[in-house]
Amino acid sequence: MPEPGDNTHYAEPDPRVTGAIRYAQDVELPDMLYACVVRSPYAHARVLRVDTSALPADVVALTPDDVRSLGLYGCQIKDQQVLAVERALYIGDPVAAVAAATPRAAREAAELIEVDYEELPAVFDAVEAIQPGAPLLHEDLAISDNDAAYFGMRPEPQRNVCHHFRIRHGDVEQGFAEAEVIVEGTYRTPSAQHVPMEPHACLAHWTPEGRLEVWTGTQTPFNLRMDLAGIFGLPQEHIRIIAPPMGGAFGAKTFVRYEAIVACLARKAGRPVKLVLRRDEEWLTLNRHPATIHVKLGAKRDGTLVAKQVTCWVNTGAYADCGPGVAQKMGFASPGPYRIPHVWVDSYCIYTNLPSNGAFRGYGATQAVWASERTMDLLAERLGLDPLELRLKNVLVDGDRYCTGEVMHDVHFADCLKAVAEQIGWQGGRRGKGLAVLLKGMQTPSRASIVVEANEDGSYTVHCATAEMGQGAWRAIRMLAAEQLGVPVERVHFPVPDTDIVPYDTRTTSSRSTYMMGRALVEAVRQLKENGELGYGECVNEGGLDPDTGQGIASTHWHQGAAAAEVRVDEETGKLEVVHLHTAIYAGRVVNPPAAQLQNEGSMIMGLGSALFEEITFSEGQVTNANLSDYNIPAADDLPRLTYELIERPGAEIHGLGETALPPVPAAIGNALFSLGIHVRDLPLTPERVLEASERRRAAPV
Amino acid sequence: MAAMEIHFTLNGQPVTVQAEPDEMLLEVLRRELGLRSVRETCGLGICGACTALLNGQPISTCILLAPLAEGCEITTVEGLGGRHPVQRAFEEVQAFQCGYCTPGMILTIKALLEEQPEPDEETIRRALGGNLCRCGCYLKIIQAAQRAAALLAEERQRQPQPGPASIS
Repeated sequence: MPEPGDNTHYAEPDPRVTGAIRYAQDVELPDMLYACVVRSPYAHARVLRVDTSALPADVVALTPDDVRSLGLYGCQIKDQQVLAVERALYIGDPVAAVAAATPRAAREAAELIEVDYEELPAVFDAVEAIQPGAPLLHEDLAISDNDAAYFGMRPEPQRNVCHHFRIRHGDVEQGFAEAEVIVEGTYRTPSAQHVPMEPHACLAHWTPEGRLEVWTGTQTPFNLRMDLAGIFGLPQEHIRIIAPPMGGAFGAKTFVRYEAIVACLARKAGRPVKLVLRRDEEWLTLNRHPATIHVKLGAKRDGTLVAKQVTCWVNTGAYADCGPGVAQKMGFASPGPYRIPHVWVDSYCIYTNLPSNGAFRGYGATQAVWASERTMDLLAERLGLDPLELRLKNVLVDGDRYCTGEVMHDVHFADCLKAVAEQIGWQGGRRGKGLAVLLKGMQTPSRASIVVEANEDGSYTVHCATAEMGQGAWRAIRMLAAEQLGVPVERVHFPVPDTDIVPYDTRTTSSRSTYMMGRALVEAVRQLKENGELGYGECVNEGGLDPDTGQGIASTHWHQGAAAAEVRVDEETGKLEVVHLHTAIYAGRVVNPPAAQLQNEGSMIMGLGSALFEEITFSEGQVTNANLSDYNIPAADDLPRLTYELIERPGAEIHGLGETALPPVPAAIGNALFSLGIHVRDLPLTPERVLEASERRRAAPV
Repeated sequence: MAAMEIHFTLNGQPVTVQAEPDEMLLEVLRRELGLRSVRETCGLGICGACTALLNGQPISTCILLAPLAEGCEITTVEGLGGRHPVQRAFEEVQAFQCGYCTPGMILTIKALLEEQPEPDEETIRRALGGNLCRCGCYLKIIQAAQRAAALLAEERQRQPQPGPASIS
């Protein structure tokens, strides 16, 4: 009999190796139809007429007239309708949809819909979009009643700003007056695609009683249910969301994606309707926020940091989605894990005529760390200090206050930095080497709840809303339950989450699930042991920031990590080769070692892609690389020597670790380049950019 | 277009299916034969999520016209039975996260090890060039390939090499 926590013995082969696993895209119902979306070819256009007269009689069409009376939705700002009713706001904005008997019939039918547009001026760059006279995307910006709108939002409706987050800590003018050295610069990170191997897939069905049932690959079943309830004017209990395992998500499968469109089609058709996106449509669905970040950093000559001012222009695309949250988290990650007495941050979440940008593994931290940690190396160079020593001199330690005013505890930034420096051979010479450190918040406030039930056969069932996208959360929660119940993990079942059954959970994001559900489980198991039948537990983390000052509790629990890289450059061609990449992350207590290792390896590899080649390219708002031939993701042969350590501490809490290693990787590689005198400010580090920076250095006066 | 009949061997069993002449094998395997281990990601023959073995060689079923499978032997991971040494190696090493790319990885490694029973790491990495894993499990997938090579070698040792006369 295998022991709890032993994951090498299975009664049945793992469904992932037999192919038996059923993802969201595999769900089928009798008599279902297949959907296809009709999209705007214009970045900004008035929708004048949608003509479906050429469609065969057995095709169901959804047009703006069908959805005009439905509620607005949006997880943080209510700025979206089921289809673009008045104006299409990006190339790819859904303006109509069809449902037909086969996927092919649906694709062919979609071609037959004629739409007349009146093209309008468009804007694509976030800095330009807040200039006077820029085209305005949304007239009204109503804050959502979805509980994903969990913080005070500060929209500025007449200038394309859906949230302006601020940190006001100390007196930044006085700080810069005290500074003996000031460095500043502007850094850019591009849009990127999550590229989950399984595309977005959902299926909707209305019961004869008028309940809506949706099977969908989603990380956010309860947030999705809230928005669908608002759209259809239904009580939430009349909507059922079932969330099968996903073939990857990385933030892409959050909030309402296509569930509202298929639900409308299903209601009109009187039959279930399913949609599985074509690959190119993924780039029109949700991407990572491009960001422009200006950093000004002041220090004493001995390296003591005294003042930092950061401005983030965060491009959220046509609809806010969770962009305000991303801008806020980017804002409070941008000071970095340092003691700085005077901090001033403005982070603007800005509408443009690009596809919507939303949650993406790293959630604003990747952009912030790129700007912040590149700046630290610039400062080190100006001061003639070792970049590691500069960081260690200023890094937060237990009991320090962050610039949000909160006291930091269980702090391990210095441990992470020292570990990566040692593994990259920092003492043996810094040429071609760079490092970077990360602090990243976990969703705060949030609530997780869980039910554990004893079955008649002596096994147990966990009822839990946590979504499985490959991160191993279901297994980790089963292992924790098994450990507490004193049974082998095979005796703990974790059925596919169904909002009719599972208790509330905020969502599966921000690497919070194992930590939060693990805590909720303790009470649930205690209750079950008491009554022998059923136990319920919940975990609430409270906090939040004042949006006008950035003071409060940004995170009850901080993800902490560091990366170091060693690189080689061919200065004739600009080709950058990463020789060795090492990360050290604080893991608290690891629940499932193989899964934790995989999460960290995957995080590093995704960071490598962001550093070296991942970038969505646009031409006047049109994505020009919406396929896996032109948009490259790392393959096995792209990997450098890749090593890492998960730092544990006896008696520590569980720490989420799915996103910790990604954000510092690009900055570590950028700093390694900088150690060779090659200063690139924009990601990714393409040969063209490296060559250009290398020529700039050669041209510079000695 | 009129549908046509296609005959091939699937996981050791003869099958006859209806398909449009311009359909890809992937669509036919999923729709007509209910196989869910072949999966579309890129639709371009780049990512390998739709990998099947055609006469023992890994191919991308998303770009193979279904009629070209006529008379061929097609193997998918459903045909390996669940306890094949490559599958066992993947489980032992835990070389997967979401599992979407795993069947394609397993088939590519199976084909590699049949041609090269003791590949070095470089050879394994190159052989996986047509199989992408966005979860980033490559380090453990490479380990799984090495472990599978060892398991297959053990099996060969247990089963003495057949003499020339015993070829059937």
